[in-house]
Amino acid sequence: MPDPTAEQPQQQQTRTRAWWGPAVGLSGLGLYAAATVPGEVAGREIYFNVAHPWAVYVFMAALVGLMVYGAIHHIRLWGIGKPTPGLLREIPHRFSNALRLGLAQEKVRRDRYAGIMHWCIFSSIVVLTLVTAQVAIEGDTPIKFLHGTYYLIFSAYGDFFGLVGLVGVGMALNRRYFQDFHRIRWDERIEDHLIIVGLGLVLISGFLVEAFRILATELVQHPDWAPWSFVSYAIARGFTSFHMSEPTILSMHIASWWFHIASAFGWLALIVFTRLDHMFFAPINAFLLRTDSPGRLAKIEDIEQQEIFGVGHVQDFTWKQLFELDACVRCGRCTEVCPANIAGQPLSPMHLIQDLKGYLADVGPAIQTHQHQFGDAGREVSSVAMVGEVIKDETLWACRTCGACMQECPVMIEHVPTIVDMRRFLVMNEARIPATAQAALENLETRGHPWRGTSLERTTWMEGLGDVPIFDGSQEYLYWVGCSGSLVERNLPVTKAVFRLLGESGASFGVLGQEETCNGDPARRLGNEYLYQILAQQLVETFKAKNVQRVITNCPHCFNTFKNEYPQFDGNFEVLHHTEFLSNALQQGTLKATHPVSADVTYHDSCYLGRYNNQYDAPRQIIEMVPGANLVEMQRNFSKGLCCGAGGGNMWQEEIGERRVNHVRSEEAVLTGASQVISNCPFCIQMFEDGVPAVHPEEEGRMRPFDVAELLEASVFGKP
Amino acid sequence: MHLVVCAKQIPDPETPPSAFRIDSATNKVVPAQGIAPVLSQFDGIAAEAALRIKEANAGSKVTVISLGADSAAAAIKQVLAMGADEGVLLNDPAFEDGDSYTTAKTLASAIKKLGDVDAVFCGRQAADWDMGQVGLLIAEELGWPVSIIAKSVGQDASGLTIQRVVDDGFENVAMPLPGVVTVSNEFGEPRYPKLPQIMAAAKKTVTQWKTDDLGLAASEVGAAGSRLKLEKLSTPPRGVAVEIMPGDTPAEQAAALVAKLRADHVI
Repeated sequence: MPDPTAEQPQQQQTRTRAWWGPAVGLSGLGLYAAATVPGEVAGREIYFNVAHPWAVYVFMAALVGLMVYGAIHHIRLWGIGKPTPGLLREIPHRFSNALRLGLAQEKVRRDRYAGIMHWCIFSSIVVLTLVTAQVAIEGDTPIKFLHGTYYLIFSAYGDFFGLVGLVGVGMALNRRYFQDFHRIRWDERIEDHLIIVGLGLVLISGFLVEAFRILATELVQHPDWAPWSFVSYAIARGFTSFHMSEPTILSMHIASWWFHIASAFGWLALIVFTRLDHMFFAPINAFLLRTDSPGRLAKIEDIEQQEIFGVGHVQDFTWKQLFELDACVRCGRCTEVCPANIAGQPLSPMHLIQDLKGYLADVGPAIQTHQHQFGDAGREVSSVAMVGEVIKDETLWACRTCGACMQECPVMIEHVPTIVDMRRFLVMNEARIPATAQAALENLETRGHPWRGTSLERTTWMEGLGDVPIFDGSQEYLYWVGCSGSLVERNLPVTKAVFRLLGESGASFGVLGQEETCNGDPARRLGNEYLYQILAQQLVETFKAKNVQRVITNCPHCFNTFKNEYPQFDGNFEVLHHTEFLSNALQQGTLKATHPVSADVTYHDSCYLGRYNNQYDAPRQIIEMVPGANLVEMQRNFSKGLCCGAGGGNMWQEEIGERRVNHVRSEEAVLTGASQVISNCPFCIQMFEDGVPAVHPEEEGRMRPFDVAELLEASVFGKP
Repeated sequence: MHLVVCAKQIPDPETPPSAFRIDSATNKVVPAQGIAPVLSQFDGIAAEAALRIKEANAGSKVTVISLGADSAAAAIKQVLAMGADEGVLLNDPAFEDGDSYTTAKTLASAIKKLGDVDAVFCGRQAADWDMGQVGLLIAEELGWPVSIIAKSVGQDASGLTIQRVVDDGFENVAMPLPGVVTVSNEFGEPRYPKLPQIMAAAKKTVTQWKTDDLGLAASEVGAAGSRLKLEKLSTPPRGVAVEIMPGDTPAEQAAALVAKLRADHVI
């Protein structure tokens, strides 16, 4: 059965194109009007029937005052945070982010229904604000332009966008009150009802004002102008059947006018008090969004000179991280895709952000005063600890750092760095770590790999492969096997497969063998930045000493670390994941997949190759080039892929919660009916090796997990 | 209180079997290439026990002593990072190749030199040779009481209250001070050091004492003073022999298996 929610790249493109439809339609309408309408004299009396129009400016002044107050309050709160480095870098990129992610709402559209709903409301508010501004200019300044043809077009697009807004409100009401739609109710508040019902009232009252005015004026004086305000015209025509007297019409008009003005300004005031502030915060946060890879965590500079490590107090966040908290709109998209949450484990990214936001609002003013008086001394202003009480330890440990939350967040919140910052505090400052994760870290410290208890050596995989070249600087590529590729029994066949394929392709490469040590990724993700920096610095030095230029990695975590994080340590190498190299080799013909592997296979996107490094195609191309292999996609795939459960150091942790993430993901893989689940990551494969038997206890017909390289090996060399 | 932790650095017990080699000419273990030595796990637990007593008694101090080569300073630093205050490395070529007796004698001399020690904490045994003698022998040398294989160590007015692991449960022991206690893995995991403490430990200097500093003669320590002579060191031959039990039915095979196990005195 084809799956409607499965994301296909082609679909994404058509979505982007279809977006410009309304704009094209409107331009067409304008051109048509300009060509056909003679209305030289069309126009209307501004503030018709209104006794005290200046009252609008009283409302306006109050609103502006409120907004200034709100802005100052927020800015002072964010100001308790630390400086945010690098914000002035890549300004053009940042403007393009603000346009693409803020104005064009690329992330909002990842939920198509919400995308349409939000665009309707957004465009309606923008256009109607411009409409209102034009009325104000016409009425209260010497500039006069609302007449003739433009007046008629103005009437038409004003009505059109009023209608668009009502469609949006209707869709929102439908989702909130008539559909079984959970995520927007996970943290529902009274303001949510006020916002949507309020907007509906503003729009409807706007139409009523116009309808009563048309009923009183245009319908009798210029019936040929009236239909341009097509919605209000229809309403006015409807009202004619009531045969209202003129005084009645005028008093209805003035009543709806005041109602419209009061409700509109009341609604705008919600911006200051509710999540409506996202209309400013979202595009600003898009501007502030990191411009480097999302796979890179911030380096703690001069770590040995620090006194506090990571973030244990709210003022240790950067001000950008504090700003993000206020940008959250509680839409629940992050929590909906969070693997921990899906498995019933104690993490909801939305609640985490909201809890921090609430804590900031509670303690921020006191900290602000305190900092003002005493500087950074005496940091504890609250008896409630942020890390441990507001945000529970187990919440922080449940994170897989899979990045699904950040991928979905329509206001560009970066949850993962915030979570890792708090883990850093837990590990380095407090030494509060789950026992099994602690064992992995201790193992990294003492043995240079996270696999406690392995009985393998880094050279065990070489047995039976003949002469394995050791990298000496003369070869083009360093083949980086990694700890999992050499020390975990299940991953050895993958290492061997990649080795054989590299050899077959004629590549010039060597390995480090005994000299490999962990590159530090698990330490960094678990929050031990200090250990990570030691391991990273050592390895960068080793690479430089051996004149390494190009690296092929087995593991997407090693890949991400070398590619995105080692430049922080002046380690700049060209890094390829093995699927990238092998896909190129197939396309260039240096590898030939000749033996058929007749099987339905499904493909699991690892987070660190997919979401973090945007590499969805190379592994799929390999699968497609294997004769006989038929790729069946899972429901969650590409950038919406679900983590296997091992990321963020969870490979070495006991899971707390209803289910295990790898069981959930294995179930999704098994549902495809494929006989193999293909991945590109040693952790994912181990998770499936454990998860598939759990969800499919019968051995007969059980799906088997393989790496892309194992599939390709079978096709290039034939089954042994 | 002044507490002493005796900590030994040993070859990594997690060395893969394939990397474990013995030099039969010298009867010594050949250090595995690229595998760094580690703090014996029981000694880490002993340090944890000492640190908890220290934390319960304001003004207390923990000194960690190790007998070993230069590299053993790393084991001392590890215990310093956990929260110990001072480190002493007993480092002299004359100390090499000793047995449990000379090790205990050397450590006891260092403890005497420290002077005001109230209690000594050792691991129940070193995780390389598994002799389990040194703690007892230190007590003997010092003439102090000793309690071994503790699963918990507490404190009352008269000294330490210790729960000892025994075959069918545990014993409660009250031990006056000064005294020696050896701590077992049932005690729990040692703490993970906090980074500020790791940094502080890195800056601390480890005192080094030689034979002369301890007032010992070279003939009393190391190989020269040993009472135990190692005759031969070898790895046990590894092999798997498979025997299929005769019998036409599973029940017959099971009966044959039981008979065989009985005959071999396995059951």
